[in-house]
Amino acid sequence: MAITTLPTRAFTQQGINFRNLIINGDMSIAQRSTSTSSYGSVAYSTVDRFKTVFEVGTYTVSQESLSSGEAYNNGFRKAFKALVTSTASPPSAGSQTTFEQRIEGQNLQIFKKGTTNAEPFTLSFWVKSSKTGSNLQVNLRDSDNTRQVGGTYNISTADTWEKKIINFPADTTGAFNNDNGTSLTIEWWLDGGSNYSGGAVPTAWEASSNADRNVTNFDLAGGTDSWHITGVQLEVGTSASDFEFLPVDINKNRCDRYYKNFDENSFRLYTTSLDGNTSDRLGGTLGFTTEMRTSPSVTKTVSNSQSVESQQLSPSGYSIFTSVSNRGGTTHIDEMKFDAEL
Amino acid sequence: MISTVEKKYNEDSTFNYEVNYQDGTIWTVPHNEANRHYQEILEWVAEGNTITDNGSGE
Repeated sequence: MAITTLPTRAFTQQGINFRNLIINGDMSIAQRSTSTSSYGSVAYSTVDRFKTVFEVGTYTVSQESLSSGEAYNNGFRKAFKALVTSTASPPSAGSQTTFEQRIEGQNLQIFKKGTTNAEPFTLSFWVKSSKTGSNLQVNLRDSDNTRQVGGTYNISTADTWEKKIINFPADTTGAFNNDNGTSLTIEWWLDGGSNYSGGAVPTAWEASSNADRNVTNFDLAGGTDSWHITGVQLEVGTSASDFEFLPVDINKNRCDRYYKNFDENSFRLYTTSLDGNTSDRLGGTLGFTTEMRTSPSVTKTVSNSQSVESQQLSPSGYSIFTSVSNRGGTTHIDEMKFDAEL
Repeated sequence: MISTVEKKYNEDSTFNYEVNYQDGTIWTVPHNEANRHYQEILEWVAEGNTITDNGSGE
């Protein structure tokens, strides 16, 4: 059937592709781990690009496989799941449990924030919990200008996937930096201490105020309650379009800009002699297929007692120079993980 | 949480940091303000901790 109607706004405002500013919104990529138990930390734990700031209690966090339910029926095969294993009641004043994604400023210029032509934001996502709840808070936080805006959603029916759409107004104050640093953080609140309540949900952009960030606490219970999310999309405008599914290679490449795990493919970087077969000076170089956001950190294992003499880390690749006193076996670098996350 | 940080010199006198975390992981971190591990090092130092620097050995 011929296409007779095109989504004009999508073409004129954002283009039909890459209208979703969220990376890995379908939770399909999980390079670090698919499940972590006894988790209570601030880190990137399972699904790529989403930071789990879980300071209250302990959780099992995981990439969940879906096989039924409305999210599944809408094309989602993976989700993020947080199962509460224990809680702290009340949580300490300055602690928080939030699920976050941080976005580079150079990817946000389409919102024209800080100008008279500033555009509104629309966030959509699928969510499920074992517990119903009202006025659960999601905030957009502008770290370039120390500003924030909030919205809320309800979980109407327990253990049932529901699609939520939250509209956030445009902000004519404070432009996003046009660089590779964090300009916007989206945070879903699961739990928080008293420092983060007592105010009012900021439905208009305001100067950042902790008291306005988690006005109504969810109060999930340890041992029984869980919270699940998938299909996260942030786009320009006031209406939510269907989730933009990307081919797996595109999605993976976008995640690789922030984190690469060569271990998952049993990749091995051999270090070979730099100046003759009998040399004890060895080297190896790895070029990244996707340029990373910035010069990454690396963790690795080194075989055969090689001594690491020099390492160069850049957005485009990694090189290592080692020395070894006895080359009785092959020399290589394994289990390499590169991190350039925000 | 960071346990220790040591400055590690390259042969060209540039350097990275070897960071030991309390969970047992060890990361090599470039001297780069846009790197989040480097930002953690700065916060760790601001809390009163000290980077070990044994020099370049030259």
